Amino acid sequence: MSKTINIQDVLKRLSLKEINEGVTTGTAWFDTEGKINKSYSPVDGSLIASVKTATLDDYEKVMQTAEKAFEQWRMTPAPVRAEVVRQIGNALREAKEDLGALVTYEMGKIYVEGLGEVQEMIDICDFAVGQARTMNGFNLQSERPMHRLMEQYQPLGIVGIISSFNFPVAVWMWNTALAITAGDVVVWKPSSKTPLTAIASHKIIEKVLRKNNVPEGVFNLIIGRSSVMGDNFLDDKRVRLMSMTGSTAVGKRVGERVGKRLGKTILELGGNNAVIVTPKANLNMALMSTVFGTVGTAGQRCTSTRRIILHEDIYDEFKNKMIDAYKKIKERIGNPLDPDVLVGPLHDIYAVNQFKYAIEQVQKEGGKMVFGGEILEGPGFETGTYVVPAIAEAENHYEIVQEETFAPIVYLIKYRGDVENAIAINNDVPQGLSSAIFTQDMQEAEKFYSAMGSDCGIANVNAGTSGAEIGGAFGGEKDTGGGRESGSDAWKAYMRRQTTTVNFSSDLPLAQGIKFDLD
Amino acid sequence: MEIEKDMTIEDLVEDYPFAEEFLRVKGIKCIRCGEPIWGTIEDACKEKGFSDAEIDQIIIELNKELEQNKNQNNEQDNQHTRRIETTQLKRD
Repeated sequence: MSKTINIQDVLKRLSLKEINEGVTTGTAWFDTEGKINKSYSPVDGSLIASVKTATLDDYEKVMQTAEKAFEQWRMTPAPVRAEVVRQIGNALREAKEDLGALVTYEMGKIYVEGLGEVQEMIDICDFAVGQARTMNGFNLQSERPMHRLMEQYQPLGIVGIISSFNFPVAVWMWNTALAITAGDVVVWKPSSKTPLTAIASHKIIEKVLRKNNVPEGVFNLIIGRSSVMGDNFLDDKRVRLMSMTGSTAVGKRVGERVGKRLGKTILELGGNNAVIVTPKANLNMALMSTVFGTVGTAGQRCTSTRRIILHEDIYDEFKNKMIDAYKKIKERIGNPLDPDVLVGPLHDIYAVNQFKYAIEQVQKEGGKMVFGGEILEGPGFETGTYVVPAIAEAENHYEIVQEETFAPIVYLIKYRGDVENAIAINNDVPQGLSSAIFTQDMQEAEKFYSAMGSDCGIANVNAGTSGAEIGGAFGGEKDTGGGRESGSDAWKAYMRRQTTTVNFSSDLPLAQGIKFDLD
Repeated sequence: MEIEKDMTIEDLVEDYPFAEEFLRVKGIKCIRCGEPIWGTIEDACKEKGFSDAEIDQIIIELNKELEQNKNQNNEQDNQHTRRIETTQLKRD
């Protein structure tokens, strides 16, 4: 696909209309009466389409349908549940180009990243299909004769998913593929900034649900304002697990409210991700990887590189290489559907405001801008959302450096001496999502991912902070929330753990040798 | 008053975009990770340690700012109308 991509054709193929229903329980769509949500493209400011949002009555209807569906779905064997997920993966393969284009047009990331986002959905479907036959428990040694002691994992119930605009559909599928395979049912609240990709995703899976007679209420979507899908959703005891991706500020609210009712959470919150470049690094490798980390998705990934911690011996050399690379990037900012473009727009004017604010603040605190920071104007940039990615020299303790700015600004920070000093800087922020080191020195690398090393959920060596594979568990520590999604054994979070003792003797021995005789 | 303290931040920034910068200057960040924070204006102010009296004052200032914005917009509209009329007169 190229500039010739016709968005109207894409919308048509994805079954999107001028005004769309924003609530479904799988194949049934609700004609709701909530506020109309208009979705505008950050690419050119055009109104893409509108969505009828939910009311509280709609919310209640969906929740009741979901509860009922769970009773049936939890008794469907996991490999049978996963067969539905497998077919969903195939449906996504067929719709990959269209959904990828819509992700680009509604969110703003470049088209190859839009395709990559859909590929992540496909990958996690494949992963979940395999996982369905390996969600194992344990058989343990009982201290009592002729007793079996075992642990197994059971479905939880309704899983709430709250996703963000920057990965408008992948995060949903990361959670959904595992939850559905685990026997749960899901209720998804997508970002109100990217409602059309959510509707399109549900339209894509609708055929699969119908073909397999999946009960209404297993896959649910509710597009609603926070007055309808806000605190009431968090406080709803029927939602056994709330998986939320977004800011630390909202995550704290989610954690507090869900915790108050002792519900479970998966929180995947903000990052302040750093790359350490030591004198023993392959600088060209470090450069290529880091530039993608800083400007990819226009700096609007949770895992975007926000800080580069450079040893003083290579500081100037690396800085100059970065500036040269950014000069090339500057020439390739534009319409993200154009295959030659490397950086698309920021999502909206608020993101531009955050970008401008960060540039002002870092200078106020003593930092120095060394590249970029301009808001582009003129033909193709009329939306005011296209910016030149910025590089600033800064110190780690600056308030603005301690914050996550969701825009393409990266801070260069100098370290001296051993790698331990760089690791200390890496860890000296409230967040703990992703981190990376570039070095060819085994001792430096080992230190970085050892117990004395990075305190982040992700600690990479000679690979950047962003662009995680689905096979590993994804998430971070400290203000990043501690949750894990996606691969590895993340499936366990979507199930409840149950310990069972089976007595196949004719006696009733108690544990710890306790005697409790009535005679 | 149009803007009340029990209004959600989501509605505030959608209906009154100027409010985002107004509150940011006061240390209240309405947008985090590109999304509006949850809760009401009052919740966000309390989170930052503002007293009830200070919150009432913020609401008054927000509404005052809103009125000024409206007046400015009206003035811009009037100027625009005058320009069109002048152009039309010249053409006539």
